[in-house]
Amino acid sequence: MDLGLRNKNVLITGSTAGIGRRIANLFADEGANVAICSRTPESVNKAVKEISLTADGRIIGAPCNIKDKESYESWVENMVEQLGGVDIFIPNVSAGGGNDSERNWWNNFEVDVLGTVRGVEAVLPHMEEKGGAITMICTTAAIETFMEPQPYNALKASLITYSKQLSQAHGKDNIRVNSVSPGPIHFEGGAWEMIKTSNQKFFEITEKTHALKRMGTPEEVANCVVFLSSDASSWVTGVNLVVDGGYTKRVQF
Amino acid sequence: MKIKRNQKIERTSKKQGPNGTPVKAAPKPKMGTQIIPKERYTSSDYMHQEWDKLWTKVWLLACREEDLPEPGDHYVTEIGVESILLVRQKDMSIRAFYNVCQHRGNKLVHSFEQPQEAAQSFKCKYHDWEYGLDGGFVDIPDLETFPQGAPDCSGLASLPCDTWGSFVWFSLNPDVEPLKDYLGIIPEHLNPYHFERMVLTKTLTVEWDCNWKASVDAFNESYHVQGIHPQLLYYLDDKDIQIDCYEKHNRYLIAFSVLSPRVIAPGEIPAPIKVVMKGAGMDPAAYEGSVYDIRKDVQKFKRENGPEQGKDYSELNDDQLTDDYHYMIFPNITMNVHADDMMMFRQRPHPEDPNKMFFDYYMYELPDNEFDQEEHIRPKHKTYKYGDVSLGLVINQDAYNLPHVQKGMNSAGYKGLWIGDQELRVRHFHKTLEDYLEK
Repeated sequence: MDLGLRNKNVLITGSTAGIGRRIANLFADEGANVAICSRTPESVNKAVKEISLTADGRIIGAPCNIKDKESYESWVENMVEQLGGVDIFIPNVSAGGGNDSERNWWNNFEVDVLGTVRGVEAVLPHMEEKGGAITMICTTAAIETFMEPQPYNALKASLITYSKQLSQAHGKDNIRVNSVSPGPIHFEGGAWEMIKTSNQKFFEITEKTHALKRMGTPEEVANCVVFLSSDASSWVTGVNLVVDGGYTKRVQF
Repeated sequence: MKIKRNQKIERTSKKQGPNGTPVKAAPKPKMGTQIIPKERYTSSDYMHQEWDKLWTKVWLLACREEDLPEPGDHYVTEIGVESILLVRQKDMSIRAFYNVCQHRGNKLVHSFEQPQEAAQSFKCKYHDWEYGLDGGFVDIPDLETFPQGAPDCSGLASLPCDTWGSFVWFSLNPDVEPLKDYLGIIPEHLNPYHFERMVLTKTLTVEWDCNWKASVDAFNESYHVQGIHPQLLYYLDDKDIQIDCYEKHNRYLIAFSVLSPRVIAPGEIPAPIKVVMKGAGMDPAAYEGSVYDIRKDVQKFKRENGPEQGKDYSELNDDQLTDDYHYMIFPNITMNVHADDMMMFRQRPHPEDPNKMFFDYYMYELPDNEFDQEEHIRPKHKTYKYGDVSLGLVINQDAYNLPHVQKGMNSAGYKGLWIGDQELRVRHFHKTLEDYLEK
């Protein structure tokens, strides 16, 4: 199956490590031009260099503080200009979990919610003519009770609603909007690696809770994100694709 | 676990003013690489040698000065077969006695590790023999029925007793060197923490199924963090540790609020480091820096905000505001020393069985203000059997493992301890022990 990604222009936020990085790697492998960002120039430069090694398309990037509206919007404009347009946008960056103070609510609002909304509003005008795809990264913590009541869970849930409504509003311009909700994902430098080291029992119980009896990998999430964002899924819009190896138990009618 | 990152802990190179804790690394003693015979942990004969040549020769920690605020206040502690009575005198000095009536050998005061309020005198419950606060006979009922008169000892048998660092010390050795000489570098190193400002918030004793030295050893090295306490890899650097051995005592300086080089920073601040930040008054959710910079930032924050919080860190260097300055006072005191608290373990031998010991746990904390210190109520001491009480995750992990170590030591398939550089303090402790036993 041809995903039709060759020469497509892709913008991904928070893409130098973790799931975001695997998504960037896969788009690059498929021949797309990829623009990335993170907070520090060192990590951006390192990631650009590494991804470029195996990429056919152009790999570019610049540091950007997602919380800073101006810095973020100028990153989008700068990347779109350098690549000559944008076909796919993956707002991936997240402030992550945590429930230490009210500050966590602001962090998740500014990074997860506004980090998606501002990016979407900046790319939409560039997609109106030729169409495009936006794939948001959510979480199974938004659709089932997980750990504790915390802003990450609640605010990621708001993105699922937001993506559905965007898909209705912009379908006429052939802009597809979907979201992907990964369950627990295990990789080095990730939260589940820390849990595996610090609390092996809980890690093993969580593994067994999955229908497939193991943790997911970032590559398995990236596969779904890239597919949903590609022309291969041209008839899919407004869905929230749960990618969790059967971790959540609800029936999705 | 493999080392995944190169990490060099940045340490302060200067002590904090003239009274600060010395920070320079001590010269590494040459102590060889010999196997340490396992019989030290399992043999009754060795246990008896320890009694004759170690426990009855050294200074031992009893209680706190604040446990005995008024004349007549007294406290009973135990070491091996001995029960020791500590009494605040009318002149406010503290004296130590064998806690035994000179008549028929009854234990004079029946209490343990619990401060007892002002007595006018001590009366034996068996035949009412009565002793003054200074240990002298006050009354021997029906003295005329003893044709030989009163015992010629004039009262309770007295022991050397002195104080340092808010603690009361005694020795079973009448000829023991002065406490100051015995403690050596310890007062200079630990006075800056002002233990006298801290209050006791937890005290208990647990009987463990291991030799007392197995416990001392476990707290004298951090090589076991990867095996026994993997969660601490997200809290401290278990590899780049400054180990300093002094004459009898030793220490290591271990950086807290950092990640072990065996792990990679997760996207979020590890929970135990968040606890430190919150303790200092920082909001982890508002922290914008890298996880790798938290140690330095907590130091800075505490330095700037300590005075406002009523915390006097003036004699502590920046590292001491986050790190564990971990001391072993020979032979049996382990001190996990931090700016705001001190977790202390006293390891006591079982009187008859080399395979058992008593683990005394004490938590001292800096109160938020003077009012809290004055109003503080000392928690009641309790004695537990192994497994009946939680000492917190970290100590529980050690406690769970130690009986297995002791069992293994008794195996014909085991010769003794094979000690590496990360366990230098274990070797140093054994060297000091040898020196005592060869005397």
